[in-house]
Amino acid sequence: MVRKKARLSIHIDMTPMVDVIMLLLTFFMMTTQFRPEEAVDVTLPYSHSEFELPQSDVMTVWVSNTNQIFLGVDSPILRAELFGEEYRNKLGAQIEDKNTLADLMIKARLKNPKLRTVVKADKDTQYGQIQDIMDLLQRIKITRFALVTELEQG
Amino acid sequence: MAGVDLPAGGGGRKKGKKGKAKKRISIRIDMTPMVDVIMLLLTFFMLTTVFTQPQTLEINIPPENVNVEVGYSQLLTLRVTADGTIYYNMGIEMPQPVAFKDLHNLLVEKLQAEPKLVTLIKVHRNGSFGLMVDILDEINLASITRFSLAPFTEADEKVIRKVTGA
Repeated sequence: MVRKKARLSIHIDMTPMVDVIMLLLTFFMMTTQFRPEEAVDVTLPYSHSEFELPQSDVMTVWVSNTNQIFLGVDSPILRAELFGEEYRNKLGAQIEDKNTLADLMIKARLKNPKLRTVVKADKDTQYGQIQDIMDLLQRIKITRFALVTELEQG
Repeated sequence: MAGVDLPAGGGGRKKGKKGKAKKRISIRIDMTPMVDVIMLLLTFFMLTTVFTQPQTLEINIPPENVNVEVGYSQLLTLRVTADGTIYYNMGIEMPQPVAFKDLHNLLVEKLQAEPKLVTLIKVHRNGSFGLMVDILDEINLASITRFSLAPFTEADEKVIRKVTGA
């Protein structure tokens, strides 16, 4: 005689769990901000500074570890005006020489005087390059700027 | 995968009373696949979320042609050579090497001795930008509010060479 084992079907009411998960999902979907593409890959240096990078009206100078310089502004319209229509969907344009960089920065500041200047330089960049950029900023009278860093914990 | 269950005993009460009392149909939907998908989405968003905005280190540089006179006794010069060694000297002393991890204590100590301390940072052109940011960070942490950046000149090179004896 083989007794059939009674199969107990367990029904768990998942509704509350689903509710909670949905809430979490909504939260993460709303708060998520995809890491913006960079004009060039840079490894930021670390600092304990807690000033956050402003979200808008930013003019960024990228300096890669191979000493390439890119200039970008956050507004696509201004970008198209400065570098040409094909740069509307790119973040920045590569700048070959420093005088062009100075001219473009002056132009950008004339179009939008609220632009804040930030320098995103790779931590392995040679300091000379940064020094040149700081001299240039001083020459075109941008006396307030910021170096972008990653927050160092501890 | 929605299973429609009739209420308990509902199937058994068919004694000629067909369709009289409205039967309540309880619908049980199997939520497992939905939960699976939602869990996946949740994991995805949790992992990709970037909570940390990059931070910035504010720098104000003086306009051109503005000279600030500083007494030698208040001046702490930090020189960074191309290979990343840090040398410090107060006023007209000879530079001495200092390890980066001791820099914080040094700065705090100097600031206590001279509250009006002005720091002058000279980084060699071939030095690394990361080290310069680290030093600026240490200066901020030591709450030294006045510092300036100056180019690393030939003269600095000579002074350092004199110290190292090379």
